[in-house]
Amino acid sequence: MTDAAVPSNVGRRLLRRSAAARKARYSTIKIWLGAICAGIVIIPVALARVLPLPDPVHGVLKETSLPPFSPGHLLGTDPNGRDLLSRILHGGQTSLLIGLLAIALSGVLGIAAGAAAGYFGGWVDTIVSRLLEAQLSLPLLLMLLLVVALFGPSVPVITLVIAIAQWPEPARLTRALVLVEREKPYVAAAQVLGLGRIKIIVRHIIPNILSQSLVVVFLLLAQAVLLESALSFLGAGVQRPYPTWGGIISDGRELFVTGAWWLVTIPGIAIALLVLGVNLLGDGLRDRVRRAKAVTG
Amino acid sequence: MPRYFLRRLGQTVLTAWFTVTIVFLLLRLAPGDPAANYAPPNPTSEQLAAVRQEFGLDQPILSQYLTYLGNLLQGDIGTSFQFRQPALQVVMDRLPYTITLAVAAIAVTAAVAIPLGVWMARRGNTAPELGANIATIAGQSMPDFWIGFVLLIVFAVNLQWLPSSGFNSMTAIVLPCLTIVVLQVALISRLVRREMGVNLAAPYLTIARSRGVSERRLTWGYAFANSSIPVVTALGTRFAAMLNGVVIVEVVFKWPGVGELVVDALSRRDFPLIQATVLVTVVLALLVQLLVDLLYPLIDPRVRLGQEARR
Amino acid sequence: MSDIEKLVDTAESGTGVSRRAILQFFGIVGASTALGSAVTACAGPQSSGTTSGGGGSGTGGKLSIVLNRNLVSLDNKLNQYDAAVTVQRAVREALTRIGSDLKPQLVLAEKFELTSPTVWTVKLRGDIQYSDKSPVTVEDVETALKLYFQVKAGYVASQFPEQPTFAKVDDKTFTLTTKKPVVTLDSLMSNILITPANANKAEELREGIGSGPFTVASADSGTGTYRLVRNDNYWGEKALLDEVNVSYQEEEGARVIAITSGQADVIDTITPESATALKKKNDIELVQEPGTRLIHLFYNFRKPAGHPLTNPKVREALSYAVDHESLISSLMNGLVSSAEGVVPKTLSGFAKTGGYTFDPAKAKSMLAAEGVSNLKLTFIWEEAEFAGAARVMEALVGMLGDVGVKVTLKEIPKGGDINTWRRGEAGDWDVLGNGYGNQTGLAITNLQGQYAGTAAKEKTRDTYHGFVFPDVTTLLDQASSEPDAGKRDALLKQAQDKIWALWPAMWAWTPDNVLAKRKRVTTLELSPTNSYELSKVKVSG
Repeated sequence: MTDAAVPSNVGRRLLRRSAAARKARYSTIKIWLGAICAGIVIIPVALARVLPLPDPVHGVLKETSLPPFSPGHLLGTDPNGRDLLSRILHGGQTSLLIGLLAIALSGVLGIAAGAAAGYFGGWVDTIVSRLLEAQLSLPLLLMLLLVVALFGPSVPVITLVIAIAQWPEPARLTRALVLVEREKPYVAAAQVLGLGRIKIIVRHIIPNILSQSLVVVFLLLAQAVLLESALSFLGAGVQRPYPTWGGIISDGRELFVTGAWWLVTIPGIAIALLVLGVNLLGDGLRDRVRRAKAVTG
Repeated sequence: MPRYFLRRLGQTVLTAWFTVTIVFLLLRLAPGDPAANYAPPNPTSEQLAAVRQEFGLDQPILSQYLTYLGNLLQGDIGTSFQFRQPALQVVMDRLPYTITLAVAAIAVTAAVAIPLGVWMARRGNTAPELGANIATIAGQSMPDFWIGFVLLIVFAVNLQWLPSSGFNSMTAIVLPCLTIVVLQVALISRLVRREMGVNLAAPYLTIARSRGVSERRLTWGYAFANSSIPVVTALGTRFAAMLNGVVIVEVVFKWPGVGELVVDALSRRDFPLIQATVLVTVVLALLVQLLVDLLYPLIDPRVRLGQEARR
Repeated sequence: MSDIEKLVDTAESGTGVSRRAILQFFGIVGASTALGSAVTACAGPQSSGTTSGGGGSGTGGKLSIVLNRNLVSLDNKLNQYDAAVTVQRAVREALTRIGSDLKPQLVLAEKFELTSPTVWTVKLRGDIQYSDKSPVTVEDVETALKLYFQVKAGYVASQFPEQPTFAKVDDKTFTLTTKKPVVTLDSLMSNILITPANANKAEELREGIGSGPFTVASADSGTGTYRLVRNDNYWGEKALLDEVNVSYQEEEGARVIAITSGQADVIDTITPESATALKKKNDIELVQEPGTRLIHLFYNFRKPAGHPLTNPKVREALSYAVDHESLISSLMNGLVSSAEGVVPKTLSGFAKTGGYTFDPAKAKSMLAAEGVSNLKLTFIWEEAEFAGAARVMEALVGMLGDVGVKVTLKEIPKGGDINTWRRGEAGDWDVLGNGYGNQTGLAITNLQGQYAGTAAKEKTRDTYHGFVFPDVTTLLDQASSEPDAGKRDALLKQAQDKIWALWPAMWAWTPDNVLAKRKRVTTLELSPTNSYELSKVKVSG
């Protein structure tokens, strides 16, 4: 968009107001807004161990259920006298760790299965597609609860369970994208050159679709955090006394109606802010990636 | 067409069998002991053994499974440990509540999300649209149980406008319904916006406009009609998923539906009741999806069933 | 936003905190709340409950009670928990009942006497009848007794040391004979509910009639809702209420909402947290009674020889690490009392044997003197076994950490898995957080259940976590067949002293029974067994 390329009667102002330019601008706004929302939560969580915070596990019973803005406890304390801010930040480390591991796992699984289904077709496609369909009609939350009950609530089990719940989305998208890619000339060229099929998928096709798939995987982080909190809410959380966001809310819910509102609201805000940030960021990025694809493609 | 229908029905039966088998196995492998839940407190080993024998849990898993399948083929889903009555009956008692909630939620969702999505598509890339977009993203970013709590405290406890739980009056449905709608509107309106965006930019619309078709007709008669299949599919899928129990919302509001029933049955290890609930809801959800598929040719005459997959 | 603020201002006088809370919520919920008010506006403001209607003058009116567990039936052959007694006894009655002094009182029986060491003679009242005016006969009692013992793993039958033999003497009189003396039979028989013989079955009854002050108008065991109406043919003093609606709600928060919003008139067995919150409400009253449920942090007595926990001195030392006063004031809002013996002090036959003290320095020095260092313990408990269980356990981690003991917590999810752990079949553990209920009002029921272990029972893991001390068992066996009350209590005291000296629990406490009722509900008397007589309850307005 250099000045030289602009025809004389279409000024910069007009260009700036064009739909495409506005779209670009709005996706930038979303990306920035998303980054800020997520940053407000992620940065303190990442620094939890460095910040001068009280112990998240051992409380002082005398300082029981203090409301926010009490001296020494910015966000108040829980009935055990533990600092809520400290618990939210330390709990966030576990929740985020679970979320990140889960999306890494479901991302790898989904992209691999989706790419295989899309490229090979035939029985590979049939199996993957049937699995995807079956999972849609299963009572998923109940199955997840059962699996957690079966293997016991621990970080690896909950991570795995969330990954299983989430792999269909990247798989479906990747399959659709690969179906389009495999008809393109460069794939035929690679085949003519005698490259192995796995090599074609990994070295040629996946790099071309990765950006779009990764945005979807990134958006799953939001779902993963929500799912972790939902599982904790239904009683399938990480072992005590170590906090997670869902666990803090779940513990606080019986106190919620009795006046100690901060135990549920504040961790809820932390979750909502992070998820909103991730969603906005992902949405903005998706717009960008699509546009980039549209330009190059 | 009948062949297609039969094939889909076969798939439905297969999926239902697969689900029930998985649940059956998971239940028996997971720790927890039904006997301990139905024997007296501090039970002796004799009492535990008596309860296990009564429930047939002293048999090997395989023979339990075969008995279960055998009974299933004869239409016997089992007897609830907890209620000591046919599990099917307990599920059927609760199902109307879940269906009521799901229908209400999907109706409100469609009524709000479709106009909102269309509006967002028509005002695409404007500041108000950006605002609505961010608002809907916010809607899908909040944990549903948390929305539920907030609504409960505001409307049931502090304002006392609406009942907090149960199903005593029609107004009891408002809060659980609202909690579901917040998330669903976000998802559906964004889908509508996406689909409409594509169709509004399509060449056929420009041609229609040049022929002097009114904007209103362009929007609804042309663009929306062509976007309706994905929208109906999404609404159908969401509705089917809700029939599997809007678990969290039902638990928060103690709505006496199947989701609440199954969570409760799980904590008491009421195996027959869990299996019955899963079976009934899965079959129902699959049938709804089948029904949605059958609707396609009515919505869009271009679609021929059994062929749309090939391309 | 201003509209919303107005709404909040006109809201019923919430506490300052919740007002602030609402404003915060609105800030966050944003768009969705705006949507919310739109939809609710369509629904229209509703007057709060369906229950606050009812007649005004003198007797009559409706009562709505919300239990904390599903009342699967109005029978107790399989299942019985505290609050269920209230409802079950409103429809069906027994020969006796446990009074507010925890002693047996006569109901359907006119006489219930020990006529020889193993024979009790019972005479039914002359005026008793069922709600259909048919008389209560001795055959009904015979059938009921027989059927309670036929139910597999029935709850009530498991409380009897043996099944008494029934023998009819005349139309109103019969005897109950046992092989060994069962001196508490009059208390035990309070759990056998009498129903017409031809309608009784060896299973929980879902319908049918009883001789109680109420009859069942409608019942839905699936959703746990029951509607009881006054029995106008009642043989005794007629009930004051017209109608009682029973439902249940496991979620404590939801029950609190139900009573504050007027949907419920009475909620029972409430936790200390809700009690504190409800105390602040103007139209709600709390009723508080010392309870009969013992909750303890019980040691695992199945540890291999040489393990520090097999040493009573170590068990004693650990108990000094528990700062129970802080636990009581911070986590239990003062609504429990620390144990002063091995059973709740409310029970008949209780002997005071000592108290728990908090002295971390002593704990440390005693542990050092016994040569115990780097002790690692695993605590287990079932999710929500008692009010605030997780919080108490998490606080204990810190307290024991202060005396150099490292504690690992293992919360067992609901579903019966705890039973496998308790029997020592799921894994190793050191301390169990467990509640032990009492339905007879007698200390001996607890003592027999927990401390009368034998080597034979331990073979099938049927002792209380491996507690086998033959001299204690002998004393308890003697006491249970001692007809003389004075001698019996002396034997029980001896046994309780011996048990206390073994330090079976790190700490034990008894929660108060707390019930919340709206002020319109009067004349509700809560008994230590955590039940009350529905027929005496009155509502106004």
